[in-house]
Amino acid sequence: MENKRTHPHHSFEMIRSLLLLSFGLFLFSCSNQSDEQTYDSSNLRRATPEEVEALVEAFILAEDTSTIRIPEGFYELKTQLILDNKTAVRIQGEGMDKTVLSFRELKSGGEGVKIVGKDITVEELSIENAPGDGIKAQHTDGITFRKINVTWTNGDKSKNGTYAIYPVQCKNVVIDGCIASHSKDAGIYVGQSEDIVVKNSLAFGNVAGIEIENCDRAEVYGNTARDNAGGILVFNLPGLPKGDGRQTRIYDNDIVDNNHENFATPLGDGPNGNTVTMIPPGSGIVLLAAKEVEIFNNRILRNKTYGVAIASYQVTGFPAEAPNWSPYTSDIYVHDNSYDRGSFLSLPDLSRELGQLVSLYNAYGWLKTQDIIYDGIWDESVSASIESNPMRICIQEPNLESLRFTRFYLMEGEDNIDSFSDASPFQQCKGPSGDKLSLNSPKRTN
Amino acid sequence: MNGSAKRIFTFFLLSLLIVSCAPQTKEEESSESVEAVLAPEEANGKFPYRRLSTYGFFDGEMASLSPSAHILPYQPASSLFTDYALKSRFVSLPEGTQASLAGEELSLPQGTILIKNFYYPADFRKPEGERRIIETRLMIHEEGGWEAYPYLWNESQTDAVLKVVGAEKEVRFINQAGKEQVINYLVPNKNQCKSCHNKNESLAPLGVQTRYLNHDYDYKSSTENQLAHWTKLGKLVGFKGKNAHPTLVNYEDSNQALNDRAMAYLDINCSHCHRAEGPASTSGLFLTYGQKDPLKLGVYKTPVAAGKGSGSHTYDIVPGDGDASILLHRMNSTEIGVAMPELGRTSIHAEGVALIREWINQMEKK
Repeated sequence: MENKRTHPHHSFEMIRSLLLLSFGLFLFSCSNQSDEQTYDSSNLRRATPEEVEALVEAFILAEDTSTIRIPEGFYELKTQLILDNKTAVRIQGEGMDKTVLSFRELKSGGEGVKIVGKDITVEELSIENAPGDGIKAQHTDGITFRKINVTWTNGDKSKNGTYAIYPVQCKNVVIDGCIASHSKDAGIYVGQSEDIVVKNSLAFGNVAGIEIENCDRAEVYGNTARDNAGGILVFNLPGLPKGDGRQTRIYDNDIVDNNHENFATPLGDGPNGNTVTMIPPGSGIVLLAAKEVEIFNNRILRNKTYGVAIASYQVTGFPAEAPNWSPYTSDIYVHDNSYDRGSFLSLPDLSRELGQLVSLYNAYGWLKTQDIIYDGIWDESVSASIESNPMRICIQEPNLESLRFTRFYLMEGEDNIDSFSDASPFQQCKGPSGDKLSLNSPKRTN
Repeated sequence: MNGSAKRIFTFFLLSLLIVSCAPQTKEEESSESVEAVLAPEEANGKFPYRRLSTYGFFDGEMASLSPSAHILPYQPASSLFTDYALKSRFVSLPEGTQASLAGEELSLPQGTILIKNFYYPADFRKPEGERRIIETRLMIHEEGGWEAYPYLWNESQTDAVLKVVGAEKEVRFINQAGKEQVINYLVPNKNQCKSCHNKNESLAPLGVQTRYLNHDYDYKSSTENQLAHWTKLGKLVGFKGKNAHPTLVNYEDSNQALNDRAMAYLDINCSHCHRAEGPASTSGLFLTYGQKDPLKLGVYKTPVAAGKGSGSHTYDIVPGDGDASILLHRMNSTEIGVAMPELGRTSIHAEGVALIREWINQMEKK
């Protein structure tokens, strides 16, 4: 017969593949969605229109070194709260569960609360349902967010805002004991800033839990990032006034169960130009064009696609040239973390390209969750071969042999993708073990 | 709780709220009728006044907006779209002072007041006919720099009062096409003014800049370059003729080159934020008139913090394809969180969208 079928063995392979694929797709369509709320603001006393107006006015008329106290109550705001160019002002609620600022009725403005100034503290309050960002601080040297909760309470998360807690172009940023949930981009997003501490905070139900973008010297520790699509992200994006950021340390965090669907674009829509839309559900930590990052003593558990991804900007497919910026991720030190790939039923993501890459091309077989992946894209002007570890990626996990590590080879396009489980080129690095390490430690070669 | 207990409780809450802010009590207002609340006010030179009338800008009936002898009308070459509101603008330079000009840098003396009135004609086909003035924004050049003060007009159009917390007004009018249009006009709160009027986190004028004023204006008696006119009146030094200073076109003037019109539109509508000195510098998208770097203009540039503002699109500008460009998508939306500019626009500027679409569509594809 002319029309001969494929070889029986092949056909068996194909059926198994299809079964696996459809099983994977089935699981994907059951991808997690969370609408968990930490507090219930519905029973709070409703502030009167006069109180709301007095609050707006208090922000406008605030003087240096003053405190704006916001009594217990639910404040329905129709205009932004803006603190402009003030020094040493404290904005103080009576607790995340007691003082709630709702921006559901906001008609214009990019964020609910906006802060510009010096040495500003915002504490003990909640911010709900801002159409854009929850609270934004810009051009502020000394900004502390302490025990604030920023969230969206819509059942349908497609209408949620972009960032919950959003310091940008700031210096000396402290985010301590905060909760950020259900944002369509990052819950805690620190952008183009310097000298940052994010600690003891909780990020859940967001697309990205905590994101450090184009920042210098960020310490991220003691946090829990759970039930996001991606737990903790360190990115450098091109074309921004602040170019490459460097020196981020991520330690003593719980980065668990980050298997939430990526709702940054409507379900069924692919990614758009926002990089976060490409993050596959099931991402623990993602480094993208990151420089000098140390990751240690974290518990990276049950993230269905991978625990840690080390990636260059080229994986996005976007133009990768810009001044004061390099697309490569370099000088990375990953050590002494604990990993758990979770149940055999939690298969890696298939909805995003990076998820598909892991699912189909990892070095251990189809649909195997990975602990650490490295895209293996390197700067060929540094070395002709990746075996010399030109991007200075240092991985020193105590029981690496029991972990799944995949290095991909992507530099010849989609038709020639390859993968390797051998981590040895990335282990020949010296780093003092254990405790708080100097950031210089991973830079062995230069 | 009985009535007086409730009042005491409310008072207690309010005093807690503003406990250490030392508020200027003269600016406190209630939501009662403004006429009833406001006592007469003396023009004592201590700005801001509670009432617009106290400044004495206008002769005769306030609503006529007919300038008294000491204020000068002006009009920027291209104007910011504010929900189709028409604007009448004046500048008050203190007696015996002069503005000075060096290249692009226009310096206005301390005490200068910029007066911008926002109004809607009942019928846009008869702009000189019946109209409703919504608000007047003052920018006063005080000792410590510029300050902005929004004044909200009363229903009877006899006066306007300072309203730092902003307001919302429904406006109905017949548009150019003869159709009734309803706009939910938003008066910004005082601190929102700086969302646009922001240069390196200091408040700064937008329209009163050299490149906008270096343009002809119809002074009724004659049409003259505004900077030349100010010079003739002894109100400006340093003007060396139109060509010695920057200028830009009126984007509404279809006789001008498309690229110049589009760049003028982006400059006046976007660049107050989208420039290195503006609050949207975070985005790396810079839309000033002279911008030549394609990446900074948004050509094949991915968004940064745009969130849902990106829609399903990848780049700010896709040459040759306006409708696939985030820039146009955000101009063409009224959804908060998507719509740009973030303030001052609750309706779509159809003519502006058409202009920018045409400009992007004729860009050469890569």
